[in-house]
Parts: sequence; C-alpha cells; structure tokens
Amino acid sequence: MAQEASSSTSSKTISLKTGDGEIFEIEASAAKQMKTVQRLIDDLGDDITIPLHNVFSKELPKIIEYYKKDITGEITKDFEAEFVKDLNDDEVKVLFLAANYLDANKLFEFLSQNIADRLESKSVEYVRKYFGVENDFTPEEESKLREERAWSFRGIKEDE
Amino acid sequence: MMDHGNDFSNWLDPDTSLKIFKCLDDPADLVRVSCVSRTWRDFVVENGLSKQLCLRMFPQLSRVACVVELNQNGVKGHAEVGSSRSMESLALWKDHRVFSYFARFCLSPIAMDCIAKAICASSTDNFPQESIDQTLEERDNIAGRFSYWSSSGQSNPNVPETLTYQLASQICIIKEINIQPFQAHFQMGSPIYSAKSVRFKMGHLKASLNDLSDEMFVWTYTSPEFPMAQENRLQKFILPEPVLCIGGILQVELLERVQRQEMDGLLYIWCVSSLCFSCSSSGDPVVTSIYC
Repeated sequence: MAQEASSSTSSKTISLKTGDGEIFEIEASAAKQMKTVQRLIDDLGDDITIPLHNVFSKELPKIIEYYKKDITGEITKDFEAEFVKDLNDDEVKVLFLAANYLDANKLFEFLSQNIADRLESKSVEYVRKYFGVENDFTPEEESKLREERAWSFRGIKEDE
Repeated sequence: MMDHGNDFSNWLDPDTSLKIFKCLDDPADLVRVSCVSRTWRDFVVENGLSKQLCLRMFPQLSRVACVVELNQNGVKGHAEVGSSRSMESLALWKDHRVFSYFARFCLSPIAMDCIAKAICASSTDNFPQESIDQTLEERDNIAGRFSYWSSSGQSNPNVPETLTYQLASQICIIKEINIQPFQAHFQMGSPIYSAKSVRFKMGHLKASLNDLSDEMFVWTYTSPEFPMAQENRLQKFILPEPVLCIGGILQVELLERVQRQEMDGLLYIWCVSSLCFSCSSSGDPVVTSIYC
C-alpha cells in the first residue's frame, strides 16, 4: 500500500461512525487489525469518517478498547478474562457478530472460544433460545436422543 | 456441504458456527449441541466434529486406520436396509456414533487400577519368587514372605529394565502410574533398590510375530522420563495429558540402576508394586479398532 505523503500511519487516528450515528476515534495501526475497516480506508481514504452501518455505539468502544491493548502487545489471559467478565451472553453475541463483520480476527477467535466456554453445561433449551434455533425433532425422536445420551445431560446448569 | 439456509440460527451462519463448535472441548457439550435440532445434528455429523474433538483430546487416535462398530451383541453392525445415504455419509454417521460414545469415557472421574496381568520382565533374578507377578501385589510382605520383583544384576548402571503388563481393557485412558521400589530390610543398611528414572510405553501386540525379531510389541506412546526417588513408598507419576492406550499393553521402563548389592557388587532394581490408573472403561464391546 502506498504511503500517504502527508502523514505516517503510526500516529494517525481514524474516525469511525456507528450505525446509530456516533463517532469514535481509533489509531490507524489498530484500525489495520480490522480488515473491513482497512478495506474501507483503502477505498475512501483515511481523512474521511468511516461509516460502519452494522456496528453500534454500545459495542464499538469495547472493540476499540481491545485493539488499543493489542497494538501495545498487552493482551494477556488476565486482560481477556477481565474484558468479558461483566458481559452477559447476549452482549458477547453482539460483540462476536461485530467482530465478524469487522473481520477483526483476533477478537473474533477470542470471542468464539468465549461463547463455546459459555455453552458449557448449558441445557439444550438454552442453546436453542440463544442461537434462535427451532427444534425440529418430533417429541419421540427427542426423548430417544436424550435417553441414548443420558450421560451428557447430567450436571446441566439452571437456565437463567 | 448441505445448504441449511435459515434453519441454522437467526444469527449464525455455518462458518461462524463451525468456529464456535470447534472450540467446544467437552464431549458432552458437543453431544447436546447435536440434540438442538436436526439441522445442527446433521451439521455436527457432516463436519466430523466428534472425531475431531477426540483427535484433539487423544492424538494417539490418529494412528487408527479404521474403526469397526459393533452392536450390543458384539456383532459387526450392518448398514440400515433401504438406506438412501451414500457410503461417505454412512461413514460420517458411524464415526459420529463411535466417537461421541467413546468420548464419554474421558469424562469419567473414576480412576481404577487397570493392570490385569503381568506379561514379562526384561530379567528376573530368582524365578519365580522374585518374578514380575509379585508387583501385582501392592504389599511388600505377605504372611512373612517378601513380595517384590528383582532384576538380574549388572555391573553397568546404564542397563535398563522393563516390566510389561496387560491392561484390563484393550482401550484404556491412562492418567497416572504408581511404582514402589523395594527396600531390603533383610540386608545390611536396608538399601532401596530404586532406579534413577522411569518412563512408560503403551501399545499393542504385533499383528504378526517374526521369529527373528524379539520385539513383540508396537509402541504407540512413550512418556517423558520421570525422575524416581530413592524412597520406599508408592511413587506417583502423572502423565502430562491422559493417554489413550489402544491395545492394552503397558511397559514400565526403569532407567539407570542406582543400588549396588553388597553381596555380589552388582547393581539391581527391585520393585514392590506397579499400579496403573485409568478412567473406568465399562467393558462394553462397542468399539474395536483395527490397524492396517
């Protein structure tokens, strides 16, 4: 990619506009980690406010926070644990979808693992509700499945 | 891959869901995922997720050439009559059944000693009083008689010894092995005939035995070396990860002799007992593996 004549990428900030109209700043080097954003910068230039129609003001600051840490190489297990500690399952879902849309690979990988961890010992009904899936087994099929796999239905957490 | 359209989820597509499912590391969670809906069950099967999870948990499985599924009577299963599925699809469904059933045993918290019998020792000083069979008995003294295995004496400390055992089941998941060296109170100074370090191998009997080769076994796993203490107690050696032993053969390799016997000036290793802890295997003849 050709270097901009006017400034170097390391200290430049990019303006991002969320789907609900709010504007956030991010360092260009952090923006680079989000391939969708980088592609938009390549197309529109880095002096323009980049529109992100599918990302909203609730989640973008969190994403920016993550990548701010990433560019300084400070992402540790403790940081990641702290990052998701107070998020409920729906909030993680929203972040996950945003990371996917932004093609922010590192965050996406981390959140995939976090969602998988959250599914641990959750009931089938909870998983259906969380992912918005219809149960298309007949009652007979379902009770047969559960009976055959009774061992995997022990120790299930109560649904919240 | 089948197009699942909107049935899949109201916010996940097959690619993003595959990402999440591959992060599941508990077989029970994967089984429950496949109970969510037909589409999800098909997705788990078609992507071989149960097998992949087992391979991640037990890399030793990668050596298995094929798996034959037996029904409850121990008879090889046949394809459903009138099944419209392709051979590939049938194989994927078989893999799913076998590997999701198999994975449940990894979760068992019950650990039991699974050494069924002693096969052979690399050497024995006085047979049969000091044979490897004595190590199946945990106590070092039975009704006034000492119970231990003794190697033959060597002047070179680097001559190793091996104790080979048959496990209770052809398919075991091994977590920990315990060894107790013997302290000879009947000798001056009560020497302890331990070894400097120990290593464990697991494997199976060779399919065809060649008269010229004295190696009867194929080893599919070799543990790291563990230092042994020169102490008369049951020493625990916990494997870094639980290991799948296919074939039911365990070998204890005692490396480097330490204790010299005053009487003849030779170095020996003497062992009271060997215990091998695995997750319980129910003994159900559900799965047999065959190597090419």
